[in-house]
Amino acid sequence: MAIDGEKIVQAVMEGSRIRESRGIIPLFGVYLSIFSTQYYNRINFDFEKRIKEVQGIKAAELLIQAAQECGYTTFQGVRNSWEWDEIVQPMIERKEDQLMGFVQVAVAFGWGDLQVQKLIPGSDLVIRVGDSYEAKGYVELNGIADTGKCYMLRGVTGAFMDLLYGEGYPEGCFTFSATEPLCRAKGDPYCEFVARKSLR
Amino acid sequence: MAKMKWKHELDRRHHQVVLSGQHVAIHCHHYNINLQKTLEDTLGHAGTAIIYQAAEEAAFQGLEPLLEQYQGLKTIKSKLEMCSIWYQNCGLGIIHLQDLETGTGYAVSSDSHHVTGWLAKHGCRNTPGCHFTCGWLAGAMACVFGKPAGTYMVKEIKCKMMRDPDCIFQIGAH
Repeated sequence: MAIDGEKIVQAVMEGSRIRESRGIIPLFGVYLSIFSTQYYNRINFDFEKRIKEVQGIKAAELLIQAAQECGYTTFQGVRNSWEWDEIVQPMIERKEDQLMGFVQVAVAFGWGDLQVQKLIPGSDLVIRVGDSYEAKGYVELNGIADTGKCYMLRGVTGAFMDLLYGEGYPEGCFTFSATEPLCRAKGDPYCEFVARKSLR
Repeated sequence: MAKMKWKHELDRRHHQVVLSGQHVAIHCHHYNINLQKTLEDTLGHAGTAIIYQAAEEAAFQGLEPLLEQYQGLKTIKSKLEMCSIWYQNCGLGIIHLQDLETGTGYAVSSDSHHVTGWLAKHGCRNTPGCHFTCGWLAGAMACVFGKPAGTYMVKEIKCKMMRDPDCIFQIGAH
């Protein structure tokens, strides 16, 4: 059975309207917040600018690392949640379907129109995104970039592979790492993320 | 006061999530707290200033059209209430703004996404940690009082991340 993305989107939209007495949204095993993409773009790109001035080290690497670690923990929570058991698990027939489920949750979270272009089990994952808020936000704030700017999506692509083919949680984080050879922030027609085994 | 039509405000435009017309993303505490820690550990005060300013700007731009849209919101009190509801509906927590009708004073938060997230991931800390909420409050106050963003200065004087019973924010004009 194919993963029905619409069902997942519906569950997220309905679930994100329910909050408990502390004003927190607990859904898919994590606490969710809903906030402007402009906030996340400001943080990432102001940080990048600032750190270049101050320390000369690559802010991008820190932001990708933060996102990959987050993606790893978040989607471990997601796949162990009762919502996943209820909504996604019945649609899963083989290991790789889990990845399709992760991608649809990311789409439901408003991270972009993610599409899996290629998956070689245990080896390669290619995800394409036509409308990444990071790429769009970068161009709006700074104009055309000379490198890929979707740090969150890049980290998350690596995390998806870590969860599927890395060692058991929590040992498998950073088994894979992703590059972003194409990015709309550079003027490419879409953003593309390629995850492969990390060289370490 | 005018009731917020949340179901109408939070919607989808194809694959995008929109809140009152503003493009938003749903993120979890792992990401929000990881970003905060990365910025704090790397840049110290300059990192917290980035979080503050980003939250201030985004809150201002998100709340300004919302408050304009609800024409029934005539009084400062009702606008402050709407901001609290918005904060809560976004899963950011509970914030009490009722003592801010004069434009200065204190806001109290009994629970928040960032406090819950920080404590779950890192436990208690020795300095106040709600930089996001400080910035958000500065942006919200500017909207409510019809001032430009950057008018208000917010400082957290008690924080649940430091074992205080509530987070308390002191608000004044620059």
